[in-house]
Amino acid sequence: MTIDNKFLYLAIILSPLVSSIIVGFFGWLIGKKVSHSLAILGVLISTIGSYIVLYRVQFEGLYFNGILYNWLTVGSQSFSVGLLVDKLSSVMLAVVTSVSLMVHIYTIGYMAEEEGYQRFFSYISLFTFMMLMLVLSNNFVQLFFGWEGVGLVSYLLIGFYIKRESAIFANLKAFLINRIGDFGFLLGIGLILAYTGSLDYGVVFSHMSNFTHAIMPGTSWNLITVICLLLFMGAMGKSAQFPLHVWLPDSMEGPTPISALIHAATMVTAGIFMVARLSPIYNMSHTALAVIIYAGGINCLFLGVLGIVQNDIKRVVAYSTLSQLGYMAVALGCGAYSVAIFHLMTHAFFKGLLFLAAGSVIIAMHHEQDMRKMGGLGKYMPITYITMLIGSLALAGIPPFAGFFSKDMILESAELVHKLGLPGGGFAVFTVYTSVIVTAIYSFRLIFMTFHGEERFRHVDNHHGQDDHGHHAVEPEESPWVVTLPLILMAIPSALVGWFAASDFVSNKILSGSVANAGWFVTNMQEEIVPLKMVLEGFTHIPVYLALAGILIAWLFHKNPKWSDKLIKAIKPLYVILMRNYYMDDLYINLFAPIGRAFGRFLWTLGDMFLIDGLIVNGSAKIVDWYSKILRKLQSGYVNTYATFMILGIIILLTFCTRLIFA
Amino acid sequence: MLQTVFFYVFSVILVISALQVILAKNPIHSVLFLILAFVTSSCLWIMLNVEFLALTLILVYVGAVMVLFLFVVMMLDIDIETMRKGFWKNLPLALCLGLVVLAEMVMVLVTKPVVVYQITQTDNSISNSNQLGWMLYTKYSYPVELASVILLLGLVVAVALTLRPSSKNAKYQNIAKQVAVSKTGRIEMVKMQAEKVEVIVDEKVGKDKEVSV
Amino acid sequence: MIGMNHFLILSAILFAISIMGIFLNRKNIIVVLMAIELMLLAVNFNFITFSSFLHNIDGQIFVFFTLTVAAAESAIGLAILILLFRNMRGVNVQDMTQLKE
Repeated sequence: MTIDNKFLYLAIILSPLVSSIIVGFFGWLIGKKVSHSLAILGVLISTIGSYIVLYRVQFEGLYFNGILYNWLTVGSQSFSVGLLVDKLSSVMLAVVTSVSLMVHIYTIGYMAEEEGYQRFFSYISLFTFMMLMLVLSNNFVQLFFGWEGVGLVSYLLIGFYIKRESAIFANLKAFLINRIGDFGFLLGIGLILAYTGSLDYGVVFSHMSNFTHAIMPGTSWNLITVICLLLFMGAMGKSAQFPLHVWLPDSMEGPTPISALIHAATMVTAGIFMVARLSPIYNMSHTALAVIIYAGGINCLFLGVLGIVQNDIKRVVAYSTLSQLGYMAVALGCGAYSVAIFHLMTHAFFKGLLFLAAGSVIIAMHHEQDMRKMGGLGKYMPITYITMLIGSLALAGIPPFAGFFSKDMILESAELVHKLGLPGGGFAVFTVYTSVIVTAIYSFRLIFMTFHGEERFRHVDNHHGQDDHGHHAVEPEESPWVVTLPLILMAIPSALVGWFAASDFVSNKILSGSVANAGWFVTNMQEEIVPLKMVLEGFTHIPVYLALAGILIAWLFHKNPKWSDKLIKAIKPLYVILMRNYYMDDLYINLFAPIGRAFGRFLWTLGDMFLIDGLIVNGSAKIVDWYSKILRKLQSGYVNTYATFMILGIIILLTFCTRLIFA
Repeated sequence: MLQTVFFYVFSVILVISALQVILAKNPIHSVLFLILAFVTSSCLWIMLNVEFLALTLILVYVGAVMVLFLFVVMMLDIDIETMRKGFWKNLPLALCLGLVVLAEMVMVLVTKPVVVYQITQTDNSISNSNQLGWMLYTKYSYPVELASVILLLGLVVAVALTLRPSSKNAKYQNIAKQVAVSKTGRIEMVKMQAEKVEVIVDEKVGKDKEVSV
Repeated sequence: MIGMNHFLILSAILFAISIMGIFLNRKNIIVVLMAIELMLLAVNFNFITFSSFLHNIDGQIFVFFTLTVAAAESAIGLAILILLFRNMRGVNVQDMTQLKE
């Protein structure tokens, strides 16, 4: 293994881009088979490269921070394309490329009969490239480039079914909501540039300590807090934190592989990654960390609850993603950045798995996503069932699956913060503990509704009568191997990754040097983590029982369907609120959107139509018109008029020149 | 003393003739008064020892330009009455402006008297014409050439403007065309059919109509 | 004794008269042309006066060139006048409004 490191980095980044370009532009020429082979080859190269890099970074101490290409220089400030290969980015690389590879393979099965097959592959390869740019950047400009790039591809893919109106609405929504976050993000980057004079991570971190007590001019706000909050605003948009979360459930309009890759495993975690990457800055602002705890806590519990009432299989998983992102944010807010990244990693595997499995179910149900029309599928599609069960167990935090380790550590860090009396600690503990039970309820509600019980899909024919095109005439069957293989491959890390990584993440061995956990976390978490011990101890703590209780509740409600009807009747108003997503969508559509539109119209009428069109464009023309109407009186066409004015001019000139009036 | 008398006599004649130039009803009188003005100013110039230019003024202006004016005025059929229209209407404005200009110029001269510096001591032993000649053909030789080109330009422009090539009486020969003539260009054999007469019966009127085809 | 100011004032009077001439005979382009000749004469008068009293021959050279240009100008002006008369059967300045259209 003597591949040059720099060549390796370039191969990792560029091979998805190259395959994306080829498939995107020449996909029609080379056909479906060559297209997906090329795309998968590109990502495979990236994946292999990523694992080599991960190995070298973790065990051979590889570190690279350099500039590949100087993009432009403005004054003394130069913007460059640089790479930062350290422990954090190597871990992220491995996660991103492996999930991406799984999704690429899975897509062959999922998209087999869809239009725009090559387009889809081109997009996901482009997405991989953008995500790698984001992860590997060593400066804020490139981070922002990758940030916007993944946003763009997300937009394109949510609206992949370009003929479906709801998809277009959803992608526009995602794009607009992300603009709000990116606005803050850009302002934060601008502030950093203004104060530190650089956009390079290393330089910024070393300069930041000079501003610990700096105050924003004209206000009484702490500079670092302002920067952190602005940057976190970007993370709120991208990682769908309350109140900018509304786009994520709607993004399920996109094809399922996308939901797995972009809206569960990688892109939405970019915000978490960003905060972890900037941990040296965030450590300096307790206020910002407290805000992150609150945002994460709200996501974690209140958006998780929404998952219980959803009937669309993908939406359930989407709300669970929101909830898990909330967990990660809470971990960040607790200063346990490495734990957040750990949860990010386990979540990428099990949530990707859940989405892919949900997609597999959707394939079997011929693109029916309503869980009320499923049921009893377990015996028809065992692989999907088992893998999804593993994913759900991991999600619910049942030991010894991966989710247990990461979630348990988040609970512990929340408790630690609470114990230390730091702001937001109580809220963090309350939300993360409560959502353990909520998580278990919705994930097993999904399992029971889909794979157990009555085979409701058989009734569908009667309900729909002639509408039905005979979709369900055939028995549901297991998906092809291209679908199940990724499921199995994702199920393995979902089940096992915790065993290997837990202790390294908590002691921050795996991310040391790139992520700096908060001081209180480092001093209080020095105990060596032994996975087996942790699992055994897990059964002496509350969370596991909370999760089991959640599963039990889900099972009871599954066995007694009338209970849920009664419960819904009993808490009707609350149920309506939950079904309407706390009226957040209505709030946006009926309050913010009209305000935005009114503001836009105001700018349009005042700025564009009145100022620019009316005053400047037409106004200048009118002034010329008016002026020339006067002037044309002088332009009589009579030679002697001109002579008269000439002589008048001479007289005036003479008067001035001889300074008679000034004398 | 004598100089003063001469100055005032000539000045009065000059001013009166200048006034007559602009006031005379008949343009011919104007031209004649202008000639008088030129001659008088030439006399005044001689009093200033500028004899060469004084003579040039008479030769060039009176002898050439003014004769040209006279010729044009006599040649053109000018309706004097319409030309004089608006004369009285314009008089107040004209007087005002003229007096303002005059007042300004005189005030300049009175309030800021010109200090006479002895810039170049001219040699009085050499005549004015001689000095001018020396200057013209040494220091100012290029401007003299330019002036000659301007005169030539004036000549060409005057001819070009008044020439009337579109006149019906003008006859031109295109030599090249005459030489390049060929036999076929001269004679062309044309085959013509005899004119036929067709008779159409106009049914309404019942009359025969002859229609030539 | 006749000084420089006498001549300068005389030329100023000539100049003022020619300005008045342009205004008074607004319709008669021939008189306008003659007024211009008169104006040039006034200017030449100034040059000659200064040249003579300052003993500087350069002023006279300038007059020489002015005469040349004025001669060319009046030749061209009269040619235009003839052309004008031929096209418009008159020399009324008021009729020259082609620029307006």
